Amino acid sequence: MPTEKVQTDNPSRERVLGRIRAGLRTAVVEPTALDRGRVIFEPVSDPLERFQRECVANLMECALTVDCAASARELAQVLQSLPAGEIFVQDDPSLRRLIEMAASAAVSGRPIRWSSQGAPAEASQATLTLAEVLIAQTGSVLVTAACGGRGASVVAPCHIIYAHVAQLVPNLATALGRISQQRIFDHNSFACVISGSSRTADIEKILVQGAHGPRRLVVILQSGS
Amino acid sequence: MSTAAQRFLHDAAEKSADLMHREIIRRGMDSYDAAHLKGRARIKDWEAARQKCQEIKREAVNHLDRYLLQFEEKVTARGGHVFWAANGEEACAYVTNLATRLGVRTVVKSKSMVTEEIHLTPALEKAGIKVWETDLGEFIVQLREEPPYHIVTPAMHLNRGQIAKLFREKLDPAITTDDPVELMAVARRKLREAFFAAEMGISGANFLVADAGVIAISTNEGNGRLCTSVPRIHVVVTGIEKVIPRLEDLAVLWPVLATSGTGQGITTYGTLIGGPRRRGEADGPEEFHVVLVDNGRSQLLADAEQREVLHCIRCGACLNICPVFRHVGGHTYGTTYPGPIGSVLTPHLNGIKEFQHLSYASSLCGACTSVCPVKIDLHHHLLQNRRNAVSAGANKPSERWMFRAWRYAMLRPQSYELGGWAMRKALRLIYRLGLAGSAFDPMQVWNCYRAPVPLPVESFRAQWRKSVRSNGDSAT
Repeated sequence: MPTEKVQTDNPSRERVLGRIRAGLRTAVVEPTALDRGRVIFEPVSDPLERFQRECVANLMECALTVDCAASARELAQVLQSLPAGEIFVQDDPSLRRLIEMAASAAVSGRPIRWSSQGAPAEASQATLTLAEVLIAQTGSVLVTAACGGRGASVVAPCHIIYAHVAQLVPNLATALGRISQQRIFDHNSFACVISGSSRTADIEKILVQGAHGPRRLVVILQSGS
Repeated sequence: MSTAAQRFLHDAAEKSADLMHREIIRRGMDSYDAAHLKGRARIKDWEAARQKCQEIKREAVNHLDRYLLQFEEKVTARGGHVFWAANGEEACAYVTNLATRLGVRTVVKSKSMVTEEIHLTPALEKAGIKVWETDLGEFIVQLREEPPYHIVTPAMHLNRGQIAKLFREKLDPAITTDDPVELMAVARRKLREAFFAAEMGISGANFLVADAGVIAISTNEGNGRLCTSVPRIHVVVTGIEKVIPRLEDLAVLWPVLATSGTGQGITTYGTLIGGPRRRGEADGPEEFHVVLVDNGRSQLLADAEQREVLHCIRCGACLNICPVFRHVGGHTYGTTYPGPIGSVLTPHLNGIKEFQHLSYASSLCGACTSVCPVKIDLHHHLLQNRRNAVSAGANKPSERWMFRAWRYAMLRPQSYELGGWAMRKALRLIYRLGLAGSAFDPMQVWNCYRAPVPLPVESFRAQWRKSVRSNGDSAT
């Protein structure tokens, strides 16, 4: 895994840059800039209510829970509804605890592969991860490579996210601003804003849920400690 | 061999008369129109959003060298490779050599119009590499061995029955259903094998974010996610104009692209990738290569009128609204980029002489300009291309002679009158002989599909003179 700066043999680099610079010497008359007072998106007044509403629009499932025990029960319920088979879990203390609490019925007999053991298997029935933030404006979850890797949110037919209400941000701009402020890409090679289950409308513009990625995206959203 | 213009006219006539094609496109566009309007209503001030996007892209394009270098610096610092390709051949050679050197036998591709533009797939196949298109629409047109019909929905010219038949012939003779859910499931099963067998994933990029040094890809199906997560090598092939200054710019570009492309509030997966898998990460490619393709784009920078064509974010909105596209369909254009943006761009990329006819594939109604999310003045650019073709002497000698004669007559009223009289006489005779619409008819192009417009008994001039005479001074 290279992390050192690399040299690429680039015979045309200077030529392309030269052409760009030559082109940019042409003066172009431009219209005036945007009036800064205009508001593009309606401000989000109640992030939780908005997030839940957008989840419905995005065909996601969002279960609001009061505490860890309720979240564990919710997780058990989701897992019970799935066919037998391995699940992939981000190796994080909070998720280890949640799995332990959900235990018995749902998890027993189901092999668990932790992200510390590598990528999720192609045949995984579900993946369970955390998220960096939840975005109210668009009903989205932001995951990074730290949330179990890249495949954790796309390989299995069901992706379950365990999140806390405190992770809600009002809009996309705030979420993207946080990526910049926290220098997320200094530590992660990947981030993704996910807004619903995988889908396509390539045949007669008819919406089909569950294309190459998960058919179900479940957010277990906990409000208490 | 027929010219591109002759092929266009032939195919346009054929497609316009294809009632099944018209019905499929009408339904598809109706569904897009409804979603697009609904999507726009979700944005409080759509015009302000368009203007913001225009400003972002303008800033990026006006400082293209600076932002590309900033992007390159970040990516290479994380162990990624950035290759600058002056043209399509260089880009194809780089990717093909890389694949050969690293022992790649199978490639999975997510949707990328630039790879279509540079003909990357044939180049890889020539090197003995199997290439799978993984976007459902792209997969369908790949099986049919035809280019994408539309830049966002590549298979929108086909109905479920045709797709079911195709899958039966090419994938599994046991398929009995034409249910889109089942057809998607068949494609999913087939492509899953490809995703997990492939050594290389190739994607495009909707944006290159300079300050964060990441590529941004918008996809709904998740195929783009798998292409960039599972194989051990990830290659991004994209145009130099895709760069944007800041990560926060996506807060408006993502919703606007989704709204204009499909009518969604936001695309399902907005993926950001900044390099190869890092130490400690569970998965991801070990190699990350970004191929920046110029291929004629830098020439557009020097065009004071049309530099803004590089602002295009390839949403397809101008195709969807264009009355010409809706009638003649995507394949008729015979270009990588169809519709208004393709008609503007192609003469720049592939030569004004061969593709000037596309500037006339427009009624100049301005519908394209009115929907463009980055406010490209598309219909005026079509008009400018018409002028440029004439200035470059690319129009037909017969057209030049005709306009010379017209100019001569316009400056000499008597000659004009004489010409009008002769033309009315000639047309009357031709129509009387039943030759309307034939090769002898100067109005053939119009009359071959329509009943001739009745000829006036006398010219406008004669009518005017009479009216002046009968009304006396009051008419003057």
